[in-house]
Order: sequence, then C-alpha cells, then structure tokens
Amino acid sequence: MNEKQRVRGRILPREKGAAPLDVVIGVMAFLAALALGASMLADRQAESWREGLAGRLTVQILMPDHPTAVRNMDSETQAALEILRGTPGILTITPMSDADASKLVEPWLGADAMVKDLPLPRLIDATIEPGAHVDFAELEARLKTVAPDSNVDDHTRWISRLQTLADTIIYAAYAILALIAVATAAAVSFATRAGLEAHHDIVALLHQMGAHSGFIARAFEWHYLISTLAASAVGAGLAGVTFLLAGGLEFAGVEAVPFLPPLGLNPRELIWLLAVPVVSGLIAWATARLSVLAALREIY
Amino acid sequence: MIRFENVGMRYGPGPEVLRDVTFQLEPGTFTFLTGPSGAGKSTLLKLMFLAEPPSRGLITLFGTDLATARRSAFPALRRRIGVVFQDFRLLAHLSAFDNVALPLRLAGRKPDDYTHDVEELLNWVGLGDRMNARPPTLSGGEQQRVAIARAVVGQPDLLLADEPTGNVDPEIAQRLIRLFGELNRLGTTVLIATHDRGLIERARSREMRLVDGRLVELRRG
Repeated sequence: MNEKQRVRGRILPREKGAAPLDVVIGVMAFLAALALGASMLADRQAESWREGLAGRLTVQILMPDHPTAVRNMDSETQAALEILRGTPGILTITPMSDADASKLVEPWLGADAMVKDLPLPRLIDATIEPGAHVDFAELEARLKTVAPDSNVDDHTRWISRLQTLADTIIYAAYAILALIAVATAAAVSFATRAGLEAHHDIVALLHQMGAHSGFIARAFEWHYLISTLAASAVGAGLAGVTFLLAGGLEFAGVEAVPFLPPLGLNPRELIWLLAVPVVSGLIAWATARLSVLAALREIY
Repeated sequence: MIRFENVGMRYGPGPEVLRDVTFQLEPGTFTFLTGPSGAGKSTLLKLMFLAEPPSRGLITLFGTDLATARRSAFPALRRRIGVVFQDFRLLAHLSAFDNVALPLRLAGRKPDDYTHDVEELLNWVGLGDRMNARPPTLSGGEQQRVAIARAVVGQPDLLLADEPTGNVDPEIAQRLIRLFGELNRLGTTVLIATHDRGLIERARSREMRLVDGRLVELRRG
C-alpha cells in the first residue's frame, strides 16, 4: 500500500473544465504585459528625447521685414556669435551655413534655385556645459540689441510636448493595467463562485465537520493562485517573446512601423514583465479567499 | 451535554416540522431516537449538529447557548460532534482512508500521528483491505462503515447517527452497535436515529419517539 499517496489526498478534487478560465487569464496577462512594456518603452523614449535636446539651444536670426536691412544679416550673425562666445556656460557654438539651412528645408520645398531666394533665417546651434545655468531670457535680450529679429529656442516647448505624449502613453498603459486587474479579479471571483457551487457538498461537509473558514478558503485560494500563476506566466512570457522578436527585427534592420521608437525591451525591462504573473497571482489569491469567506458567511 | 427547550422548527413559510421539543441528553448516555418517516428525526439531528438554526426555542450545546454564542465559536463546537449522515456524505475523490482521517486533519493532527489509529479503525469495521478504495467503488454497506468510522475516529464528545445500520446485514449491524457501545463506555454521548426495532430492544437504552414533530419519551434507559 502506498502510504504517502494515501494520506495526502487533496481536500478539493482537481478542477474539471477550468481551461477557459486559464485561457482568459493567459490572454489578460499577455495584454497586461504588452501595456506594461509599452509604458516602459514610452518612458525610455521620453528620457532619450530629453537627453537629446536638453543642454542645447538654437539662436534664430530672422530676415527683417524691411528690405534695406538685408545686408545686415551677416554682421548681425557675427555680433550674435560674439555675444554667445562671451556668455559663460556655453560650450560649443556652431553657426549653420546657408547650405545647411537649405538642406533642412529641402525635403519640403525641394532644391530649386527659387529656394535660394527665400528669406531663410540664420541658425546658430549651441550646446551648454552640463550643469551650467544659462539665463535664456537675459541672453535673448542681449542678442536683440545686436539682432532685433533674433530669438533663442531652448527646446522646452518641444520637449514638453514630447513629454506630454510619453506621459499620455504611460498613463493609458496604467489605465489598461488597472482595467485588466479588475477584469482578472472579476473572472477569478466568478470562477471561484462557480467552483464553490460545484464543490458545494465538500464545502458544506467540511464546514459541518468544524473546519474553520480559513481552512476551506485556503484549499480554494491555493488552487486559484497556482493556476493563475501558471496561466499568466504563459501570457506574460508570450508578451516577452513578442518584445524580443520586435527587438530582433529592429536589430535585423526591419522597421516594423515607421516613425515609431524602437519596440525592443532590454533584459532589465523584460524582468519587470514578471510582475504581471506575480500581481495576477496575488489578485487571484485575494479574490478567491474573499469570495470563499463571503460564501461561507452565508452558511449557518 | 445538550438541552432543547421549547424548540420549534419550520422551513421558510411552511408548517412547523418540530413543535415545542424539550429534552436533555446527559453526558455519557446512550439514546435511541425513533419515529415514522417524516416525523422530523433528521431535522432534530440537524439542529443538534448545528446545520440549521431553530426557528424558536433555546438550544444549549456543551454549556453554550447557541442563540447568543458567537459564530466563530461554532467550528470548535462542531468538531466535538461526530455525525453519521443518512446519505453518508463521503468525499468521492478521497480514499476510504482519507475520508476517515478527515476529522483528524481538521483537528490539525499530522499523518504520522493518526495513520495507525485510522488503519486500526478501518480494520475493526472490516474494511482493512479497502483502505485505498474510493467511495464510488464501495458498496452501500461499505460506504456506511466508512461514514461511521469517520464519525467516531476523533472520539467525539457527542455522536449523532442517522439510520447507521440501514444498509448493512444484521451481523455487521451488531458489530457497529458494539462499536457505538464501546465509544459510549469511553465517555461519548450517543444518539442514534433508527427504525430498527430489534436493535432498540436488544440495547435496552433510553428511547425518545418523534410523532408529528412532537417528542414523546417512551423509555428511560
């Protein structure tokens, strides 16, 4: 006689017909992991935008409205360069040549001779020493004394717009995660209730024999914790593979969607996807426990 | 041990199944509960093993007034009661051994600690070679013996049995009654609901009879 087998009978029989719940939870976990990955990508992208544009400024010297002033552009640019060179905290100064400026507009306007007649502004690109503080308003005021139609662009407007875009993606991802958590909890709660119904005889007997509610709840909560962990690990794993494939495609030079930032997650970010099965498991555990305790309170 | 005072019971808006039931079971006594089918025997047992609250009246169990007791005190009270259900209520997915061991598991005892007791008891009820069998593969009489073994394995303070010899042959029935008697001698208060007149006559114990939901004391033990 196999003694170990004999004394370790599970209080609850193995669930039959639970596969649909596992599928639902697996799909939920897949979507949750995609949302989580998207939020991390958006966060990383916003960071790289900030890094790329922070610490730079562009001085624009516009063509004045009055035609007599045309020949002053060169001298105005020279004067502006002098002012920039004398400003503490400015690291490099790169005036953009007319050819460079033409190149910037070429994609939109073409390279016709006509473009050469356009009143293109003179651009001066400058970088700021890391950690140095430059008062942009004061700098702009000084520049205006030598070049009245100049302005200083420190890219804050552009960065803040990109930041808003990234924040929108991140918060949307969080909202999706919250919705998925609610749906998972509802699905597990429903399944637990169905399980309670199916095992009503067992629950009633255990209750009758003096089992504490906690003892009965534990049998259910372990069942749903384990099956949810397994199903959501598969879902999150598939999402991880999806991100890896996206990264691999990019590595191979295939641009999945033009204009979108890279879709591959790095290993540290991939580890965060493990949070999806862990949190799903906890939700399932808590939901199963609360459902069983609530149901048992209804019995005398 | 157990005390009923003017207890009445009705299910929903239906008629009263039990009316003004008043009695007392002293510790260590052996009592038969008889009466025709539908007289309320099973309902009376349900009230005694805390499956239903009474519609009215007072029930005191092990010195605890059930009307005022906290719900959290019930599991401990229930664990002091062994019940042989008329429909056995065995867990179909567990072996005979595991079914009998269930009360001990609920009491927090470890397999190493109870394995010997459970095996001995299963041998005593004649199921030594059926320990690994699951209830659906057992005959009615075998299932009944598993149910009885489960009810007595923890040496409860109170044993309630609903028709415990209904499905077994007279020889086994006598053996089971001896088991109940043994338990009774060890201090368990026993109440058996039965139709079996032969059993009652031989045991010459106290007999209470339910007629139309009212309790009549036929014989003092």
